[in-house]
Amino acid sequence: MTILEGPAGAPRKPVIRQPGLLSQMWTARADYLYVLPAIVVMLIVIAYPVYYTIDLSFFKTPPGLQLRDKIFVGTENYTAILSSEVFWKVTLNTVIWTVASTLIAFVLGYASALALHRDFAGRAVLRAILIIPWVISAVAASYIWKWMYHSDFGIIGAVMVQLGLVDRQPNFIDNVHTVLPSLIVVNIWREFPFAMIMIMAGLQTVPEQLLRAARVDGASAWQRFWHVTFPYLSGVSTVTILLLAVANFNSFIVPWITTSGGPSNASHIWITHIYELAFGRQRWGVAAAYSVLLFIIVMSLGYFYVRALSSNERKEDSP
Amino acid sequence: MRNYPLGRALARGAVVSALAVSMLNTSVHAQSVDLSKWSPEYVRSIAGTEEYDTAKECGAVTPLDYKGKLTFWYQGVFEGDPDLLRQYYKEFFEAFRATYPNIDLQEQALTYNDLLDKFRTALLGNAGPMVVRLQILGGVEFASKGYLQELSPEDVGWKSEDFWPGAMKSVMWEGKAYGIPTNNETMALIWNADIFERAGLDPETPPATWDDVVAYSKQIHDKLGVSGYGLVARKNAGNTPYRFMPQLWAYGGGVFDEADPSPTYGEVRLDSDASKAALQASYDMYVRDQSVPVSALTNQQADNQPLFLAGQLGMMISHPSDYNVMLDLQAKATGSDKEKAQTVIDNMRYGLIPTGPDGKRAVVFGGSNIHILNPEYVEGGEVDEAAAKAMVCFWTSPEWSLKMAYAGSNPGNLNGFKTKWMKERLETIKFLDVTTSMLPYGIPFPTLPETPEIMNIIIPDMLQNVLTGAMTVDEAAADAAQKVRDITEGGGL
Repeated sequence: MTILEGPAGAPRKPVIRQPGLLSQMWTARADYLYVLPAIVVMLIVIAYPVYYTIDLSFFKTPPGLQLRDKIFVGTENYTAILSSEVFWKVTLNTVIWTVASTLIAFVLGYASALALHRDFAGRAVLRAILIIPWVISAVAASYIWKWMYHSDFGIIGAVMVQLGLVDRQPNFIDNVHTVLPSLIVVNIWREFPFAMIMIMAGLQTVPEQLLRAARVDGASAWQRFWHVTFPYLSGVSTVTILLLAVANFNSFIVPWITTSGGPSNASHIWITHIYELAFGRQRWGVAAAYSVLLFIIVMSLGYFYVRALSSNERKEDSP
Repeated sequence: MRNYPLGRALARGAVVSALAVSMLNTSVHAQSVDLSKWSPEYVRSIAGTEEYDTAKECGAVTPLDYKGKLTFWYQGVFEGDPDLLRQYYKEFFEAFRATYPNIDLQEQALTYNDLLDKFRTALLGNAGPMVVRLQILGGVEFASKGYLQELSPEDVGWKSEDFWPGAMKSVMWEGKAYGIPTNNETMALIWNADIFERAGLDPETPPATWDDVVAYSKQIHDKLGVSGYGLVARKNAGNTPYRFMPQLWAYGGGVFDEADPSPTYGEVRLDSDASKAALQASYDMYVRDQSVPVSALTNQQADNQPLFLAGQLGMMISHPSDYNVMLDLQAKATGSDKEKAQTVIDNMRYGLIPTGPDGKRAVVFGGSNIHILNPEYVEGGEVDEAAAKAMVCFWTSPEWSLKMAYAGSNPGNLNGFKTKWMKERLETIKFLDVTTSMLPYGIPFPTLPETPEIMNIIIPDMLQNVLTGAMTVDEAAADAAQKVRDITEGGGL
């Protein structure tokens, strides 16, 4: 560190010369060595597949040829996808699926967490019951819901008929208009406990003295929530919404097991469609191009996730 | 750009036409079972006339004390199969291990709908098994890509003439054999005589034509409030093409010209008037008359079975094994359900699959084949040839190709019909005569690498587009035909 003199001999503020990147890396070489194994593993299991998928997305893979005999077609796969009617239908399904599942699961989870934060008899039991959908196997849950929704002898329809709500067994999953909402209900049922747990954890960080002070100042329950609890939970809420959104963009098990994307592609979302293109129809190149597009979207969400986390950390670090 | 030059298509067409003709032909050379005399009476007359010693026959291919290792994937039993079949699968592997105690066998069973996806994925990573038993429509796809070794019955001690000529053609690619048939099957129409009677139909007479099926289904539904016909239109499920293609062919339609005596696969016929008539029949049952299960779009045959047993379904297409499945399900029922189930079983009838308006009768010539993989695509990069041939010989032997097809199918090795187990089978498996009588009407799926996609995705999509009202019959047929054209020309999404 050097101290430079300004005009007229006035001393300037000290200028701290930042060492160069390489210099910093050299200084912290031990740290890099510690994380090297993890970086190597990540390069193998993440970076290479990403590179391979991007590379594959520029090739055509006809069913009669092995993958190694693929034909270079440039950006043809991307053009074909973006001009395909099915792509836009599946994209709309994916957006509806992700937005509806994420927001409703979050709101339900938030409400459940607030309710369970209060002390009452049976709280622990109720909390355990509400977590069941999240811990149960997604495959098992999908099969159970498929049978409950069954259009001819599903229990949900039977109960609705018994209660006189409808005249005949409703068609939940064999109808192009009702299948997606029906599957979203299953997804919300599976995911809201996750949001609930996250918010419950966040609620532990809300300072009790602030709430007490607000109560002393005459704030109503709503005011205490809106002005104290809600701002304190904004960080964890953002992270929860982003995690749910990423998980929902990548959903596979529920729609695939229940309907395989049908009927008539009405419940296909991106991942199920990519799976069908790749493993059912061997359009590896097209499936790879689809995956690249999905990767870009999920990475964008990931960027906001990291930003949200960093923002939380800054808030916690600030005096 | 076309993947299939005209010459290749014609050559393949010639091969396939030979298959179709030879399946029905009266002059198959040196065949130990005379297919020209095929009838229920003939099948009865040859049953129990020969004895085979599987260990001795296979011991000549691979010594019984051979020490080796074998990985094996196969299309195994699933929820829609009878317990009897489960028992035979168990006994098969016990017998193989007892016969070849020094072969370390690692077998893995997969369901029909999962096997192709998993096998394709494994091959991409060179992590396939040494031996695989695939559904009949799968072999050509993998042979054409070079994944499979050349393999004919002679390689494991049998004669090609001892297998259904039609089935042998399903393992052929460009004139060479890449597998051996393990079992072959044709289905039949099953109906509930009690439901027929209560609906005012002749309880002992099945619908003669597909138009009759539509009319009977409506009559049953209108009079009794239960589903008439067990339509199946699920995507990615083998059950769908096995039930719709007979209907399509009977009306005179087809994906290509696969139902013709000399198919060339050069012309797509899914949008022909005949194909549309078949599609219209499904539309009439599902949409117009609402006489079939609403759940048909997500159903498999395994979902129809409990409906049938509960007296909620009048007709369905399936194997003879469904009778045994009903017995298994009935054994698990309790109280009044048990009695109801027994009533259904007592009223279960089997008949030939209906014809089209011009009297054409058709059924899918189905089954499975067993293959040996090329070493470079196998986990570890090696194939234990002797152990692989021991397994192939064992499964395709007269004894085990019969036993493993006991309730639901027919032996791939025709000599299986001569064994004592066939005699026993004729006495214990009800309605076996009817399904074996359908064999001469069997039409193989097109022997093209694209066939799995056509049958498991494009055909069910076409049905779903019509049945959900997403498209009209004309639009759905045109859409499906275009998709087939696209994929055979190497394009399409």
